[in-house]
Amino acid sequence: MRTFILSFIIFLSPSIIYAEKSNLALGKAVYEETCISCHGVKGETNPEMKLVVTPRKLNETILTEDQSFQIVKYGAHHWGAHSELMSSFKSVYTEEQLYAVATYISTTFNSHRTQRIQDLLNESTTLSEKEEKSMLKVGGKIFKRRCAWCHGETGNGESTYVEASKDNKDLIYPYNLTRTLLDEDQIFLYAKYGGHFWGAGSDDMPSWKKKYNDVKLKSVAYFIETQIKKIKKK
Amino acid sequence: MNTLLKTLLLSLTLALSANAADHIIDQKGKTFVPSSITVKVGDTITFKNSDAFAHNAYTDDEANEFDTGMQSSSTNKTVTVKEAGTFSIECAIHPNMLLEVTAE
Repeated sequence: MRTFILSFIIFLSPSIIYAEKSNLALGKAVYEETCISCHGVKGETNPEMKLVVTPRKLNETILTEDQSFQIVKYGAHHWGAHSELMSSFKSVYTEEQLYAVATYISTTFNSHRTQRIQDLLNESTTLSEKEEKSMLKVGGKIFKRRCAWCHGETGNGESTYVEASKDNKDLIYPYNLTRTLLDEDQIFLYAKYGGHFWGAGSDDMPSWKKKYNDVKLKSVAYFIETQIKKIKKK
Repeated sequence: MNTLLKTLLLSLTLALSANAADHIIDQKGKTFVPSSITVKVGDTITFKNSDAFAHNAYTDDEANEFDTGMQSSSTNKTVTVKEAGTFSIECAIHPNMLLEVTAE
């Protein structure tokens, strides 16, 4: 029986490797046909591309492979971005092609991502039982005092900041957090290190690590995850 | 006597306000320019916003607490220094903006 299983695995391995390679080739083809013009050869963004919103550096993205798939399929606007520059490609490519390009981005440009995120989470402060109990209160207070200025009281991106900056043609609109794809850990890391650290073209979403400690930023992330997010991944 | 007191008070107020200086702080490139100032009690600090986007200067210092609220581009907001001491002024939107104030 053991020999049979071993033979079966050996028989399957080349086909799995072949499938992975062919998937990567498919993703590479889609990437080079479409994504490369904005995001550059290695996901570092194309410096020649002058857009209102600088394309994200895909080699620094916080997104998982599945989240990247959701973005290319439905477009960034669907997931909370104000701009529609990163549009939906679901009518352009098949599901297989869209997932292949997400796999290509994840494995080719950003293979260090999972480890990097895990390291940053490991080195962050763990909350005590008492701190965990007050996360909602602490996070809600900071959200209202800080995040709401830009993201709005309900997190939908309609805020006094946008109102006060509406004459600025270069305004980078804050994200609609009710639609964010990021999970609680990712929201914490995004707030701690800022958007630029995670590949955004601007530092309009600043790093809050000098202002708030990990306990407070984790509380904000918890508040957003439980009170602000309204839609779930399809 | 009443008139004399009123005259004295008025003179004192006028003398104080004549000596009070206005310190201009620019908010430019997401920084306060200059980043530190020395002022006298009674002086005012005027915040200019030269950036294309909004700012919101404030301090949590108990003696001199203020919050300018959302300040649009190309507008000014003025606050008065009430008590002596050192305190920091920050922007509610841009956490890396910091202005150190010494009030004498």
